[in-house]
Amino acid sequence: MIDLEAARYRWHPVASSTDLVPRHVFQAQLLGREMALWRADDGNVNAWENRCLHRGVRLSIGINDGRELVCQYHGWRYANRTAGCTYIPAHPADAPARTICNNTYPAVEKHGLIWSGEKPDGQIPSLDVLDTTSITPLRGVTINVPLENIALPLIDHYSSGQRGASGDSVVHYGADTPDPFLLILHAHGHLHTSANAQAVDTPTPDIAFFFQPLDAARTAVRGVLCGVDEHNIGSAALIALLKQHSFMLCRARDIIESGHRDKPVPTPWTPYIPKVSDRHASMPPLTSAGQQAKLRVRLSAIENLSPSVKTFRFQALNTQIESAAPSVLPVAQPGAHIDIHLPNGLVRQYSLINGPGQTDHYAIAVKRLDDSTGGSHALHDSLKVGDVLATSVPRNNFTLRRDAEHTHLIAGGIGLTPLLSMARALDHSNLPFTLHHFIATETDAINRAELENMSAAVHWHVGQDVQQTQDTLSALLDAPTEHHHVYICGPGAMLGFTRETAATRGWADESIHFEYFKNPDVVDDSSEFNVELARSGLSLQVPAGKSLLSVLREHNVGVQSSCEQGACGTCRVEVLEGEPDHQDVYLSDTEKAQGNCLMSCVSRARSKRLVLDL
Amino acid sequence: MIILYDYELSGNCYKVRLLLSMLNVSYEKKAIEFYPAAEHKTDAFLSINALGQLPVIQTGDLTINDSHAILVYLARQYDKSDTWFPISDPVRLAQVTQWMCFADSLTSSASSARLVNGFFYDLDGEACRQEAHRLFRIFDEHLWFNEREDHLWVVPGKTPTIADLACFAYVVLSEEGGISRMDYPAIRRWTDRVKRLAGFVVMPGVFPAGPGPVHVLPANDTFPSAGTAEA
Repeated sequence: MIDLEAARYRWHPVASSTDLVPRHVFQAQLLGREMALWRADDGNVNAWENRCLHRGVRLSIGINDGRELVCQYHGWRYANRTAGCTYIPAHPADAPARTICNNTYPAVEKHGLIWSGEKPDGQIPSLDVLDTTSITPLRGVTINVPLENIALPLIDHYSSGQRGASGDSVVHYGADTPDPFLLILHAHGHLHTSANAQAVDTPTPDIAFFFQPLDAARTAVRGVLCGVDEHNIGSAALIALLKQHSFMLCRARDIIESGHRDKPVPTPWTPYIPKVSDRHASMPPLTSAGQQAKLRVRLSAIENLSPSVKTFRFQALNTQIESAAPSVLPVAQPGAHIDIHLPNGLVRQYSLINGPGQTDHYAIAVKRLDDSTGGSHALHDSLKVGDVLATSVPRNNFTLRRDAEHTHLIAGGIGLTPLLSMARALDHSNLPFTLHHFIATETDAINRAELENMSAAVHWHVGQDVQQTQDTLSALLDAPTEHHHVYICGPGAMLGFTRETAATRGWADESIHFEYFKNPDVVDDSSEFNVELARSGLSLQVPAGKSLLSVLREHNVGVQSSCEQGACGTCRVEVLEGEPDHQDVYLSDTEKAQGNCLMSCVSRARSKRLVLDL
Repeated sequence: MIILYDYELSGNCYKVRLLLSMLNVSYEKKAIEFYPAAEHKTDAFLSINALGQLPVIQTGDLTINDSHAILVYLARQYDKSDTWFPISDPVRLAQVTQWMCFADSLTSSASSARLVNGFFYDLDGEACRQEAHRLFRIFDEHLWFNEREDHLWVVPGKTPTIADLACFAYVVLSEEGGISRMDYPAIRRWTDRVKRLAGFVVMPGVFPAGPGPVHVLPANDTFPSAGTAEA
């Protein structure tokens, strides 16, 4: 018996590199645990628990769309690298909770194989004793016999059996078994074999066999030939060599299996599958108030998109290649933003422009504004590559539905950023959309080449004055269409006009989605009112000149916040009784009229008293 | 108009539905309830096919039974590209025939195990599974070496043949008979490729593969990182 506990801390081969073809999900097994392995289009290899955490269906029957893995059962989408859920079709308007994240295992490519493990903390076995200038993986062969019963008969088989097809030469192997999971065969002699009816000399390379414990009763033998110059020997001889070994291994397998037929069936290994991954198992602290700065990221690249716009790319700290728990950035969806805590003490929100599956970094695009209150200047002028910053985890109050018959994206200037991420997602999934980008000058047309390459119609409206812009928007919104959705981001006046026009033309409130840069209105904080907190049993007085959010904070009532000016929707609180005085630009008119929630940063009360669900 | 005597859950009927769809031939289905009504053993059906087996097609006065015979007929009659059943190439024709016979042995093993599990047939399910695994091992090795030579399909060559469809049905339904395909990665990749053929249709228990290329080895068609796209 192998030491199962020790085996959990080792790296094991789980597939050949060539097994992971594009847009395929490989079904692997290790120590009784099934894994879904898939290669994203960016080359990253994912090794996940083979189980959708929604209803437990195997992810190996899912769809690899190149950037995300889609469960076959209810269409939940999981992002490359993070395994975080990005979309739940049954809840098209909501961002999935961050805790919906599959169990992931480390995956590394080495020796032509994919390596993984439960909690590997050592090194991948080294083949320093062999000539590893070139490695040729053999076809993996599964033997329905426990791992410890394989090495000796395999040595016997190889030392007695490898005879050329013409039978005139024999290779002898010297065996070396440094540990129970690895067998090295050193070749002596030369194999004479025939391919395509022509006798050719094929090389007799050394072989390393790695034993992969699939489960208690089955083992995969993954061999690699060391030092075969594939270009030099030619493809016919190479294939003949691979066939020779495949034949040898299949014969060895049959002999080993038949010799083991009467042995008792070993007790199965039942892997422990946590319902929630370790990093999401604990509850967040009770008072998680204010602008959270949970992540530490390093600025890894700055690029100029236009004379006034730069992109900033941030990477997680401590990404180690062979680490058991590589630090990954929490997953974001199209429309998500992060708070960035700037060196000058300011906290600013920026939309992520990442496309689907681009999960190894966060990217934002920032325009240097002359009337900046300090955010864009700080980013443009004082940050340099290598700087470490604190950010919030991504938050999404501007979610993209994927069930629209057509999606209209309307951007004003740098308001393109959340819509760029949406366009990338829609384009990748071949979902129909159009994009309108209103810009002052041609140079503001950022990412033009990329957008022109998309399947959708992209229109740039350059240098339109207010009247022209309004005419264009009116024409776009002329006829409300069912199952069409409109997403707008841009200056306040443009959003105001668009929302008003859409409403008068008869568009349903829930098909018009908008995100303001900032609240264009001046907040009137002259009122005084009482709030009762139903859960906490507190009764508080909000005086003139002070926000509800700051009063809550003074009394240690936790409410998360981000922009703190009524634009982002983060500090939303449910209202149980009373009439809110909204003042925000996040809620739609319908939602405001319903009066069952408010933005605690700017909203106040029209009634004397509010009862809040806090 | 072709009439297909069809049972939705039958793999043999599925082979015919696949080729009809891939060749874009319109047809009419007549549902024959195989289980539990056993309509294929009624007098009415036995007068159409004395063997009492599905599928059967009728067109005009012509009646053809046996799924593989129907595949041959449809390929010769409707395949303008003349690739699905390559009669002009003796080697490939022999190979197609050989793998159609192999598909028949899948019917008596993988399909029989599914009849035991899903339709309560009184057969030795364990023996059927063992035989199916023996065949899958051989099939996987065949497909693995085809991949090494850039051949995507069961019979080496540039295009799929009716041998792919004949083998596909009971391979892709094997898990309903308790036969995992985990140990057969080349078979699993090949099923993805069949699913990506134009005109592919699903049946209960068969899932789509989603869009994708039909490469056999990892390609370098990586997507641009955000950085290069924005540059």
